[in-house]
Amino acid sequence: MNFISAPIAGAFELETLNRELAGTPFAGRVRHFPTIDSTNTQAMREAEQAQESGTVYLADEQTGGRGRSAHEWHSAAGSGLYVSILLRPKIAPADVLWLSLAAGLAVQDAVRDITSLAPDIRWPNDLLLSGRKMGGILTELNAEVTRVRHAVIGIGLNVHQPSFPPELASLATSLKIETGQDWSRQDLLVALLHHLNQEVERLTAVHNLDVATADVRDRLSAGSTWIQGKQVTVTDTDTFSGVTDGLDARGFLRVRTPHGIRVVLSGGVREGAR
Amino acid sequence: MTAKKTDARLSAKDKKRLASMNPEEIAELKELIEFLKENGIGEFDLERGDLKVRLKFAGAGPQVDPSHLSQLAQFAAAQHAAALQPAVVAHVHPVGAPAHPAAAASSAPETATAAAPIDDEAGLHIVKSPIVGTFYESPSPGSPAFVKPGDMVEVGQVLCIVEAMKLMNEIESDAAGEIVKRFVTSGQPVEYGQKLFAVRPR
Repeated sequence: MNFISAPIAGAFELETLNRELAGTPFAGRVRHFPTIDSTNTQAMREAEQAQESGTVYLADEQTGGRGRSAHEWHSAAGSGLYVSILLRPKIAPADVLWLSLAAGLAVQDAVRDITSLAPDIRWPNDLLLSGRKMGGILTELNAEVTRVRHAVIGIGLNVHQPSFPPELASLATSLKIETGQDWSRQDLLVALLHHLNQEVERLTAVHNLDVATADVRDRLSAGSTWIQGKQVTVTDTDTFSGVTDGLDARGFLRVRTPHGIRVVLSGGVREGAR
Repeated sequence: MTAKKTDARLSAKDKKRLASMNPEEIAELKELIEFLKENGIGEFDLERGDLKVRLKFAGAGPQVDPSHLSQLAQFAAAQHAAALQPAVVAHVHPVGAPAHPAAAASSAPETATAAAPIDDEAGLHIVKSPIVGTFYESPSPGSPAFVKPGDMVEVGQVLCIVEAMKLMNEIESDAAGEIVKRFVTSGQPVEYGQKLFAVRPR
């Protein structure tokens, strides 16, 4: 190597990490990679090989980090928190959507605990500060019609980036940019995993699914400016504009358009009219 | 009677009642209807809490084989476990003679009726979507499809992705054989339980 790498700010201490995760299914199951193609890809690969539920894949750098529709996720070494969590929840495949939504709430709570900032949630689960993206979640599921084999929740948070390239600067931000401070990725991770564990426990508790999903819906509606009354443009199977009108019983975003209510299954939601 | 989709003869009131059911209940109901149709069971009552469902099938179904009843009990038990819901009470009334569809349709607001399906997929294994979402034939835009009709697939081989809320669901084949049909196009929205592929088992 001709270049000397800069030391990674706040490197992970796995022993401390595992101790701080005591009482969760993640304790003792954190696997750290200095560099990896994608923590989600690794987790999905190992899930096929019967890796345990609760295994956490943590990387300092991703060379092939992914977002929705194969969008690349900018994952420079040591600058962000890149983590994927392997779960085998005993719920119906359709209900994993609730886990994906609840993961956004867990990130929001973790960032609030550690930094006192309150990120907005852009449905379904992007984390925004000052209207720019500081975190994203990509969930991958392998399921039969009635049974989940495994689910991987992948979370990327921008932590230490002092700036972004010009083409991303208006879209992306980091905790460093927002506060001028470096926040510990490990502290963020511990808080995140504890919150995520609570969400998983609620959504997988026997007999309580309806209560738990209503609770996720209520908290999302309260904790996001995007769920109700926001003028948005949606790119789903087509592109349309309207005003958001709450979540339906399945957690999908309703948008009031001149042609009636549209329910967004999977589209990108952006602010403003077309 | 010609075969119609189950939904075709629901009254507005029935639809309203169905809309108040949660997605799991609707999904289970659809699956139950498929199961009953496949096994030629003519009449079926189900009570779950305040939800009561009575199904009567029109058309000349075959005489019910008593062994189907034990399968039905297993089905109900499996649904019970899968949905983590209490109290599935199933009352089964197998009938050899076809029920009159008009009588069934007018008997109760909760009533849904279904005609016998036209069986043009005999011997084929149907892969169905486990979630509502958008169907994608390839892992990313512009890349080749996971599979196309004529391909031979193994159990566990990924056939497509169904995406909802940035949740990417890899759909694997649960049968080995030849893909003979794809029912949906890439980018199309799909419902729970919608047919995706037909596989001719090897």
